[in-house]
Amino acid sequence: MNNTLDWRHALRVMAVLAMLGLTAFPIYWMMVTSMTSSADLFASPTHLTPDMKQWPVFGKVFSATPVATWLKNSAIVALGTTLLSLALAVLPAYALSRFRFAGVGLLGLGLFVTQMLPEAMLVVPLYAIFGQLSLLNTLTGLILVNTAFTVPVITWILKGAIDGVPIDIEEAASIDGCSRLGTVFTMVIPLIAPSLAATAVIAFFHGWNEYVFAQTLISDPNLHTASVGLAGFVGELSTPLHSVMAIGLMYTLPAVFFYLLVQRYVVAGMTAGSVKG
Amino acid sequence: MTSPSLTAKVPSREMRQAKAKAARVGWTPYLFAAPVVLYLLVFQGYPLLQELYLSFTSTSLLSPGKQVSIGMRNYTDLVGAAEFNRVLWTTFIYTLACVVFSVGLGLGTALLLNAPFRGRGVARSLITIPWAAPPVAVALIFVWMFNAQYGVLQQAFQWVGLSEGMEGWLNNPSRALPAVLLTTVWQIFPFASVVILSSLQGVSSELREAAVIDGADRLSVFGAVVWPAIRPTVMLLTMFITIWSLRRFDLIWLMTQGGPIGRTNTLVIELYRRAFTFRELGEAAAVGMVGLSVALLITVVYFRLSLRAERAAGQR
Repeated sequence: MNNTLDWRHALRVMAVLAMLGLTAFPIYWMMVTSMTSSADLFASPTHLTPDMKQWPVFGKVFSATPVATWLKNSAIVALGTTLLSLALAVLPAYALSRFRFAGVGLLGLGLFVTQMLPEAMLVVPLYAIFGQLSLLNTLTGLILVNTAFTVPVITWILKGAIDGVPIDIEEAASIDGCSRLGTVFTMVIPLIAPSLAATAVIAFFHGWNEYVFAQTLISDPNLHTASVGLAGFVGELSTPLHSVMAIGLMYTLPAVFFYLLVQRYVVAGMTAGSVKG
Repeated sequence: MTSPSLTAKVPSREMRQAKAKAARVGWTPYLFAAPVVLYLLVFQGYPLLQELYLSFTSTSLLSPGKQVSIGMRNYTDLVGAAEFNRVLWTTFIYTLACVVFSVGLGLGTALLLNAPFRGRGVARSLITIPWAAPPVAVALIFVWMFNAQYGVLQQAFQWVGLSEGMEGWLNNPSRALPAVLLTTVWQIFPFASVVILSSLQGVSSELREAAVIDGADRLSVFGAVVWPAIRPTVMLLTMFITIWSLRRFDLIWLMTQGGPIGRTNTLVIELYRRAFTFRELGEAAAVGMVGLSVALLITVVYFRLSLRAERAAGQR
C-alpha cells in the first residue's frame, strides 16, 4: 500500500516537473538565444545553454535600438491605464453591489458585451474619432482606449469583492454621519485592498501588453511602445537575433517578475470577484 | 444569554441589506455609474455603432469620409462564399481546439497541483509564467523556435520524425494552424489551471474522504464529488476562453498573418486584412459584425445551459 503511494507520488512530481519544464522553456530559450553569438546561433548542433560571455548584449541594445524609449512608453501607458481604470471602476462596482436600481441589468449586460468586441474591429472607427479629438499620436489616447477594455472586467471583479464586505460596517459609518461617498473611500476601499491589487495588475498587464491600438493609433517612432517595437522584429532577420531576443527578454521579464510578486493577490481577488459574483 | 426576543429584534443580515438598498437609493447609483457608462459609450458604444453603419456601405481606407450606402451587399457577398466559409471553419477549429486543450490541460494541471507535495507553492507560481508573458514576445520567441532551419522546435520535431524536409511548420499549410494552436494553448492554459485550482480548493475534503472510505475509486470520486463542485467554474471558464479565442489577434497575426494560403485566417484576422490590406472598411465591418453575432450567440447558449443546469441541481 505504502509502496504504491510512493510510486504515485513520484509519478506526480515527475509530471509536475515536466509541466514546469514545458512552460518555462520558451522563456529560457529567449535567454539562451539572446546570449548566443551570431556565429554559434546557426551552428549545428544547437547550443542549449547560454554563453555567459555574451551578456554585454543587454547593454548594447540600449545604444543600438530605442528600447529605453519603448519600455518607458509602455510603462507610462500601463501605469496610466491602471490608475484610470481603478478610478473609474470603484463607484460603479459599488453601485452594482449595493443598490437595486432600474437599469442595473442593462449595465451588467453592457459591461459583459464589451468582452466580445475585438480591438481589431473598433480600431477603424476609433482612428477617426481620435483624429477629431486630436488624440492620435498621444500616449494619453492609448491610455484612454486601453481603459475602455479593462474597466468592464475590473468593475465586475470589484463588484464581487464589495459583495463580500459586510454591510453592517457601512451602517455604523453612516450613523456616525459619514456620507455615502465617504463610506466608500474610508470603509470599503481598505477592505477590498487585495481585489484592488489584483485588478491593478490586470490593468497594468493590459496596458503593458497591448499591441493593436499602439500599432495603429501611433505613428511617431518616439511614442512607440515595446510591443510595437518588438513586433517590428518578428520574422525580420536584418537585426541580429540575439539583440532582438535581448529586447524581448527585457520586455517579458519585468512583467513576469511583477506578476509572480503579486500573484497571491491576483488569484485571491479574481476568485473573490468572478467565481462568486 | 441569547434570549428568543433578542434574536427576533435583530433582523437578518439579508433583510437589513435589502432595507438599506431600498431606503437610500435615489439618484446615488446613477451618479456612481454615470462616468463609466459615459466613458464606455464614447470608446465602445459609439465606435460599435459606426462600425455597424460602415458594414452597410462601401468605404475605402484611402477616403474613409466617402461612404457609399450599398444596403446588405457586404453581407450577401459573405454568405455562401467559399473563401468566407473557410474563415468560419478555421475560426471554429481554432476556437474549439483552444477551449478543449486549454481547459483539459488546465484541469489536469490543477488536479496535479492540488495534491500536497514539497515545493507545491513554487510550482503553482511558476506554472503561470506563460500567462504573464506579453503576446508579442510570445509570438517572437515561438516564430524563432519554429524557424524552418535553425528553430529548436523544428529540430525537436525532426528528431521525433514529425517534420520532414526543410519546410517549417509556420510555412506548411497543414501544420501552421497546429503551430499557432500550440503557442496559444501554451500561453492560456495556465490561466485555466489557476482558476480551476482555486475552485478545487473549495471542494470539501471530508466529502472526498467519505467517498474514498465508502470504497469509491479515484474516477468515481472525481465524478461524484469533485466535478459537480467545480462544474460551474469550468463552464464559465469555457465561455470566457471561447470569447477570447474568437477575438484573439496579436498572436495569430504576428505568427502567420493568416497564412499560409489562409489556413490560420480566423474572423478577426480576416477583418483586419480586409480593412488594412484590401482597404475595404465596409467589408471588414461586415465580417466584424458576423464575428460579434457568433460571440453573442455562444453567450446566450451558455447562459441558457447554465440556467438549466442550476435548475436541475435545485430540483435534485
